[in-house]
Amino acid sequence: MRPSAAKGKIAITGLGIFSAAGKNRISFTESLLKGKCAIGPVDLFDVSPFTGRIAAQVKDFDPLDYFDRRTAARLMRADQFALIAAGEALEMSGARSHYSPYDIGVSMGAGAAGMYHGELWLEGVLRGERSHPSLLRGILPDHTATSIAGHFGLCGYQGSITTACSSSATAIGWGADLIASGRLSACLCGGTDALSLLTFAGFNSLKVIDTEPCSPFSLGRQGISLGEGAAFLVLEDEAHAQARNARIYGCIPGYAIAGEAHHMTAPEPTGREAARVMRSAIEAAGISPDQVGWVNAHGTGTPLNDVVESKAMRLVFGDHADSVPLISTKAMTGHCLGAAGAIEIVATALALNAGVIPGTLNFRGEDPECDLDYGHAGIRESAAAIALSNSFAFGGNTTSVVIQGPGGGD
Amino acid sequence: MSGANNDIVITGLAAISAGGVGIAQLRETLEQGKSMLTPVPTEILGKEGHLWGKASGFRAGDFIPPLKARKFDRCSLFATIAAAMAMENAGLQMSSLDPERVGIALGCGFGGIGNSEEFLRCYFQKGADGLIPMLFPNTVPNAPASNASIEHGFKGPNVTQVQRFCSAESAFLMACRFIEEGRADIMLTGGADDLNAIMIQGFNSLGQLHSHATGFGEGSGILVLERREHALRRGAAIIGSVGEIRTIGYLLPGREPEGIARLKGDTAPDIVSISGTAADFPLLLEGTEELPRLEVGKLVGRSLAMGGVAMVALLLTLGDGKRGLHLAASPQGPFFAIDFSGGPSVRS
Repeated sequence: MRPSAAKGKIAITGLGIFSAAGKNRISFTESLLKGKCAIGPVDLFDVSPFTGRIAAQVKDFDPLDYFDRRTAARLMRADQFALIAAGEALEMSGARSHYSPYDIGVSMGAGAAGMYHGELWLEGVLRGERSHPSLLRGILPDHTATSIAGHFGLCGYQGSITTACSSSATAIGWGADLIASGRLSACLCGGTDALSLLTFAGFNSLKVIDTEPCSPFSLGRQGISLGEGAAFLVLEDEAHAQARNARIYGCIPGYAIAGEAHHMTAPEPTGREAARVMRSAIEAAGISPDQVGWVNAHGTGTPLNDVVESKAMRLVFGDHADSVPLISTKAMTGHCLGAAGAIEIVATALALNAGVIPGTLNFRGEDPECDLDYGHAGIRESAAAIALSNSFAFGGNTTSVVIQGPGGGD
Repeated sequence: MSGANNDIVITGLAAISAGGVGIAQLRETLEQGKSMLTPVPTEILGKEGHLWGKASGFRAGDFIPPLKARKFDRCSLFATIAAAMAMENAGLQMSSLDPERVGIALGCGFGGIGNSEEFLRCYFQKGADGLIPMLFPNTVPNAPASNASIEHGFKGPNVTQVQRFCSAESAFLMACRFIEEGRADIMLTGGADDLNAIMIQGFNSLGQLHSHATGFGEGSGILVLERREHALRRGAAIIGSVGEIRTIGYLLPGREPEGIARLKGDTAPDIVSISGTAADFPLLLEGTEELPRLEVGKLVGRSLAMGGVAMVALLLTLGDGKRGLHLAASPQGPFFAIDFSGGPSVRS
């Protein structure tokens, strides 16, 4: 039976994650609950020339623990992360055995993707050496979606959104809409990204990498810590998921995307534009601001971004903003760029399922310009049923996604 | 969904390609049916015998001050200038529009690669002291759409897609949906790609200059979409309308006909547009063999987002009430089939 437009909610039936903070759902949840920061030394490439030398790198990773040699060889590092996390989400969901493969799609968000291997190719070429062409195989971010589709036999829609740090949040919102519009019965949506010299050198050249693990919303923060990983959701029409007795871990009631049209790298300083996309997401979800229990911030830890996002909170929630925690899981996972939105949405869904609001790690002191509740005191129990996840990117691409926990918010 | 009731119309077009700068130039190239591909300079590969579709007639300084142009990468220049041309063609001025209701969704294959290569080359050759910070922001593939949004003030949905040879069609699908949902009143959509020496060297290294990367091109093709009612209310000239959009991501081995069936529509087209590697899939083309075929990639080069120029070309070709079918494919998927009607008429 072909899919029809979803009449109700878009349910989450699968969650998968692979990152420096945990190589599966269970270990990531443990890091989230215990407040374990995954940011540390980097040995993937030489970082000694840079001022900021730390990141949340996935350590002790041997692709052969997950793939046969032939499969591993045709996948880039970001692809490998993605296939592992996607596999976990698909297995948890069980959706593949209930729908035609042509009714299950892949909606990816991507960033630097296979750039790490592309850099090895370029370095060799510049040295006059014969670089191996296979290093270029995944230079474009779409390689992951194609690899996933082929590996798991997902034949419905296939797309990759590339809006830098908001890519995978948008991919999840769009994935939900592909079901809402009747184009798909189920959608594997999320994102992946791997550390690369390009992004490491790039953010260092902009002088926005903190020399210590990033400390969002803290006094004396100096910028971001990069990270890498992948995270995926399996989404389905709630009624169909219930009909097949699937366990439902929450839903995606709405999302919004916008362009700030302000500056390629700097956020609009009053927070007005960030507030607009947050309000639009809340409106798209058919809820009111006072139903939002907490917000998983974009929260990069740069001096300007954190202040702007705090201002946006005041514009959206008014006086109520003081009782809506704005927390940043980037202090745990690092900023995973193309995968950041997906990792944060999965973290938010896991926290809602666990009945907690995560803390923002690496506190250094109170910043008078950041005057909200940032969870610096640590994790807390919460009955909140709904949270918002923000992702703001280079180019002024902004995305906000509403996540509802299991059975809540009606 | 997505305009199956002819509710979404096209009111503006723009094209920059090896076929020239502007839709009149593209129309002339189509009428002449002459390939505009030129030899890849020998110094790039150290050998002769390959062609590319370089938009050599494009001069950014003809449209924006040279000092301003320097802050953009080449792909962003294509997108930003094509967006202005499309808005003008649609009779739209941002000063009379709500910027939050105007969005942009572009496909972009290799946008940012040129800046990435230059940034990294400086690092590999001169170390950290050689890094040029101003190159870094435009290494992201969304730079073209985002620079266009910043330059023109588009504050509505802003998204970039890269999905093989169907990047522009992927963006087109999103743009139609945003109009359908009411997220925007006006969407600019299509594709932008640039072409540079390192790409050609990369294709050569991968052995693709004799297969999918033969005659690669560059440029931008942009369409302005809005609801028919919105267009009529402002007295816009309707160039065409969007019909059904069908897509699949991957042909499952052993179940290919089932996938191809998902791409077949109910209406008989008068002309077929071929983009990406659609010509390599006989099953996809089945039933269209006798129809006039428009394959713009052969004339101006193909690229991952050249579907934008191909859709513009199809709209330029369609007479009032005529039906066009745009087919796009990539070697391992995805696949798109998009129905268009020409002119303001609604043909049921």
